[in-house]
Amino acid sequence: MAKRWLLVCMMLIVSCMLTGCWDRRELEERASVLAIAVDVDEENEKNYRMTVQIPIPLKIAGSSGQGGGSNTDAVKIMSVTGRTISDATSNLQLRLNQRLFLGHTRVLAVSEEIAREGIEHIMDGFRREPQIRRLLWPIIVKGKAASLLEIKPELAQIPVVFIMDLIENGQKMGIIPNKTLGDFFNATSNKAMQPLLNYVEASRNEVKWKGIAIFRNHRMVGSLNPNHTWSLLQIRDKKRGGDVVVKLPETEDDYVTFRPRFVDSNLELKPLLRREEGLEAIYHCEIQGDIVELTKQGYRKGAPEKFIKEMEALIKKEMEERAEQMIVKVQKQYNSDIFKLGLKLRGHHYRDYWIKHDWIQDFRNFPIRVEYTIKLRRLGMEMQ
Amino acid sequence: MKKQNGGNAHFSFTSWQQTCLITSTLIGVGVLTLPRTATSRLLEAGWIVPILGSIGAYFALWMITKLSRRFPGMTIIEYSPLVWASPENPRLGKILSLPWIFIYLMFLYVISAISSRIFGEVVVTSVLLNTPLEVIIITMFLLAYFLCLHEVEVVARVNEILFPLNLFPVLFIAFASFQKAEWNHLFPLVRVPGKSMLEGALEATYSFSGYEIMMIYFAFAQRTSNKEKAGFFGILITTVVYTLIVVAGITVFGYEELQRVTWPTLELVKTTQVPGLILERLESAFLAVWVAAVFTTIANSYYTFIYGLRQFFGKGIVFQRIAALFLLIPLFFIALWPQNIVEIFKVSSLIGLGGLCLNIGIPLIYWLVLFLRGKGWDESKERKADG
Repeated sequence: MAKRWLLVCMMLIVSCMLTGCWDRRELEERASVLAIAVDVDEENEKNYRMTVQIPIPLKIAGSSGQGGGSNTDAVKIMSVTGRTISDATSNLQLRLNQRLFLGHTRVLAVSEEIAREGIEHIMDGFRREPQIRRLLWPIIVKGKAASLLEIKPELAQIPVVFIMDLIENGQKMGIIPNKTLGDFFNATSNKAMQPLLNYVEASRNEVKWKGIAIFRNHRMVGSLNPNHTWSLLQIRDKKRGGDVVVKLPETEDDYVTFRPRFVDSNLELKPLLRREEGLEAIYHCEIQGDIVELTKQGYRKGAPEKFIKEMEALIKKEMEERAEQMIVKVQKQYNSDIFKLGLKLRGHHYRDYWIKHDWIQDFRNFPIRVEYTIKLRRLGMEMQ
Repeated sequence: MKKQNGGNAHFSFTSWQQTCLITSTLIGVGVLTLPRTATSRLLEAGWIVPILGSIGAYFALWMITKLSRRFPGMTIIEYSPLVWASPENPRLGKILSLPWIFIYLMFLYVISAISSRIFGEVVVTSVLLNTPLEVIIITMFLLAYFLCLHEVEVVARVNEILFPLNLFPVLFIAFASFQKAEWNHLFPLVRVPGKSMLEGALEATYSFSGYEIMMIYFAFAQRTSNKEKAGFFGILITTVVYTLIVVAGITVFGYEELQRVTWPTLELVKTTQVPGLILERLESAFLAVWVAAVFTTIANSYYTFIYGLRQFFGKGIVFQRIAALFLLIPLFFIALWPQNIVEIFKVSSLIGLGGLCLNIGIPLIYWLVLFLRGKGWDESKERKADG
């Protein structure tokens, strides 16, 4: 009998613990921020202006059946100012009925103006905040960062989802680099690497990927256009990059378009032959791909084998030129090692190179070459 | 002398259960910070730390096993009077062994307090931001208390059952994050001077503490089981898990970034992308499963402490149940002793050092005493008598 009473008591005590937890919060009880944009406040240069995009759950759920309203209704855009990011966040909270929740933030837009001043101050808050995911995408926006959140893409109900899809599909196709907040953190704390982030421009209805923004120690120093970014992606990440349009020699206005399919890249560090000491970096980049367009009819004159060889040489020349330009720009103009070259040097030539040089400064003068091998596999559905 | 206490429990642990006991006790809250602590001295070469550390652990555990072979079926509480004095003089033996047993039990006590504090801290800072720390600690204690209500063979079975939950999350995270790995982070292999190498190796041994519970549990091993083998595998599994998680940490973050994050393993979880986006914010799920791993560490230490007390006073299961309840109160205050996160990590590293001294020190001293008293070779005789 005593045992039964004990059991009853135990059950009562245990049920006291089933009251739920302090952090229980239903989905509709949160103000989930999907994207954050950080700008300089126009009224006070010292302040930040933070713009957030919060989806309105009811509108999203209801619109599918009722033909949907315009997509401005699906999200709420709010803008606050503050001396720091967390100051702005608490100011934002004062204007919201529900508690802010940053756990679903997917995009962090930073204006170029701020990025050029350095984003160390902004990032600290994001480093400390446990809700922030390291997988979110920081994006540098040309002009005002808030403009990225205010677009009305029409193809997607929520603008941020449109931007996310743009980046995600770009990644899958290998034309947009996957640069997450975690990558940015890793690269900024690493002495042998420099970070890069995606660079976009937003107009009223659209957003356009414009390449990448290059950083040097938390500070944006410049950008690369898509063509140069693709060269970088090929040699650095073995991503395929976009189509290559080459002007045909001896023609007025005719082009051949080459589409890379598979890319393999190898970084070789070898002693300089010309000088006694020193190293040089050679990227061996092999690209397999197809010709997808050749605007001049009857261009091919010789044997097909010869044509393939000719085309390969033409594309190789073009791609090496692009890579060359890109490297010169990155080295001489920006002096920022976004190639992860320092990492390899530190790893494999620690004693003979790394400890004798200050990589942050000496990256500028390190000889880098790129050798492409083009393997033209197919000509599409056309045989000529 | 106290055969009546755990008489039925004697000689019931299989080899596998012993391995599980060791592994689950070792794998605990330490894993959450291991990539950071391992790389603090040795930089890129931090993955060597668990491997170096395991050497000390093998040695200590080997001595513990040998002690247990020397006194088969006896826990450290039972055999230490025999080590310090002849069987005819049990009172002297008990007095002489008192300081050692006191240190041993206190260490287990403190370790269970600090482990639950660290666990509470990580839960409060990363997942349950509004839940009071005290609640998480008390819940953990109640779980440990629940285990203390039972006899010793239950501990072995609980550990056996929870064993997969100890391994799976870490292994999953380690392998899942290899897809993001940048292997150049691991090089150059050796670049730190010899002194930091030594310091790093010493610090490495800290991460291996917890196997001292075997000073008690080896007494319940089945006669046919191979304790050396069980111990070896216990440490080996832990070493592999530790090494994997450190390699994953270094290759994903690089050692510089690792020094900046408070809970590197948790950050690793956050960076891990599960294909298909079924689970966003994986860290909550990870911590939920991870409770099992932390529970086995805390509950094993606390149970061992309580069981040691019970044996020391020669009492039964009722004493164990009551003592376990009342001793939770001071335990709670010890857990809340460190005032901030910096102090917590300081205390935890001090505990690591203490654990190292204790794990190697006590068996070593016991063996020295045995040899000095000319009793070291009794083992062979007893074996003959057994077989």
